[in-house]
Parts: sequence; structure tokens; C-alpha cells
Amino acid sequence: MFVYEKKLQYPIHIKNTNPALAKFIISQYGGPDGELGASLRYLSQRYAMPYPELSAVLTDIGTEELGHLEMVGTIVYQLTRDMKPEQIRRAGFDTYFVDHTAGVYPQFASGTPWTAATIGVKGDVITDLTEDMAAEQKARTTYDNILRLSDDPDVNDVIRFLREREIVHYQRFGEALRLATERMDEKNFYVTNPAFDR
Amino acid sequence: MDNCDYKNGMLPQCAPLAMSYTPMQQCSEPAYEDKMALARGTLFPGLDLPFMNMVNKPDGLSTPLCELMALDFVVHELRLYLDTHPDDSEAFQSLQTCIRLSREGRRRYVEQYGPISIDDMRFADSYTWIDAPWPWQLRRKKED
Repeated sequence: MFVYEKKLQYPIHIKNTNPALAKFIISQYGGPDGELGASLRYLSQRYAMPYPELSAVLTDIGTEELGHLEMVGTIVYQLTRDMKPEQIRRAGFDTYFVDHTAGVYPQFASGTPWTAATIGVKGDVITDLTEDMAAEQKARTTYDNILRLSDDPDVNDVIRFLREREIVHYQRFGEALRLATERMDEKNFYVTNPAFDR
Repeated sequence: MDNCDYKNGMLPQCAPLAMSYTPMQQCSEPAYEDKMALARGTLFPGLDLPFMNMVNKPDGLSTPLCELMALDFVVHELRLYLDTHPDDSEAFQSLQTCIRLSREGRRRYVEQYGPISIDDMRFADSYTWIDAPWPWQLRRKKED
């Protein structure tokens, strides 16, 4: 089960309202490579992990991603506080605002609602860990792109932290795959699926 | 191959085809001190690979809450490391030390600023769990 801690993983203190930034940062909340997808991907894949280290990695990284979801939500919340209608129009935030006011809704930057179609749960150790490594890189690229577009130092400070977490997770998933293959038949890793053919 | 520095890791010399291989991190040392780790987003200098070499500085992380975040972050980083290196007894000892420090830091923070978990209600005078600020709300800089 999960126990809530009333604190963020990393401090967030954004001084200036800026809906133009919120408009694309929302993608890391509910977008194709965002934190909601990351947490649900790992926390759903873990049931099919046949080795204890892998159950641990997916549980612990999946849980951390829930903390990152909260952090990205916090960024969007703080960037959109006390917005004025003129600011909303000028920022092009009107299309989001008309549907969600200043609520935080899991959607792509393009407006598509979050969808489980962006995550994979294949029930196969090699396949799922390979997806997870790609997922970390996709999230890292998205954070790189946010850093290219954002000029707010309070926001970029947090984005740099989140981006670096993707690199650490990539390493851990890679190590998890190493540990898995060490236990598999090295003459043919694909002879069976150890999560199914016991 | 025992001479890999901390930015490099071990790979099998001959490895079966049709598989990808990530070098294993060799050791939980060197490690940043806790506030630097939080600022950089990793405990491990070998994994610290910033975009355009722009990095956060730990200067602003001296509030009681940030000090606790930093300790908890080191615990979390060691935990992920140990998930794939469960037999590393040095890292395990570091984890135990950090958990003790974090417990103590948490006790001091909660006494002064209010609960972090519902457990913290057990000695409270009233139900302060609902009190602001919630984590997403802006805090006054001092208590942050």
C-alpha cells in the first residue's frame, strides 16, 4: 500500500505566474512520456517480474515517479496561480483554461487527454525492461526540450532535477536487465519467458 | 578490467548476441554530500550528466525542510542502488546511517513545522494534518 508524505521530493518555489510555460510543461504531467504514464507503467509491469531485484526496482522507481507527478503538478499549479484573463489570452492558455480553468488535468501539451495507449505492459522481462529504458530516454528528451523553451530559472532548476532522475533510472533499469539475463539461459535468452513458462 | 574509474562500469568480455548490456555501476563511492546530491539530482558523480553542462547549486537548500529532503533523497538513491546491488555491504551500512539521520531530522522538523505523515499526529495536541501549506502551495521562504 502507499503512505502519503506531506512534502515534495525537491523544493519548488516559482515566483512568477507564466501560463505560457504551463501550457507545455503539462505534458510531463499527463503527456505521452510524462510522469503519470511512467508511474503506471512501472507499477503495472512489476507483477510479471520473476526476480526479486526487478520487483524492487519497478516498485521503487514507480513510487518515485508518483512523487514526480506531484512535482510537475506543483509546477503547473504555481505557474497558473492568480492568472488574469488578459494573461491567459496572451499566453495562448485559453484553450486549456476554457475546459479546466486553473485545475491540473493530465493531458499532452497538444491537448489529448492522458491515455494508457502510451504505456506498455507486455508481461515479458526483456520486453518490459527494454521499454522502460526507452521510456526514461523519452522523458529525458522531453525535459531537454522544456529546458530549451523555458527561460524561468525557478522552473528550470526543478526540470534539471527531474531530468537527471531519468538518467539514474535508465542506469538502474539497465542493471536490472543485466541481472535478469544472468539468470536466463545464456545460449538462448529467448528460449522461454521466465514470467510465464515456469 | 578492475581499473574502471567511477564514470565507467564493467561489461562481460564475451556476451551473447541479441541483447543489450548496460555497464554495472561498480561502487556506491564516490558520492556527493546530501545537499549537493539533492541539487544535482543524483548521489553519484558518475551518473551526473547535465544538459548543456548547466547544473543547480546547493546554496538555497539550507532550510530545515530542504535539509530533510536532502537526507531522504540520499536514502532513496542508496535504495535504488541497493535494489540492483543487494550484496554491497558498504552501501547497506550507508543506507542504515542515512535512515537514522533522516529519522532524527524528521523529528526536529515535525516538532517545529507540523506533520509530514499521519504518524506524526500521535503526540500532537490537535489535528494539524489539514493545515496549510500543502506541498504544492507556496511557502514563506523561512519555513520552506
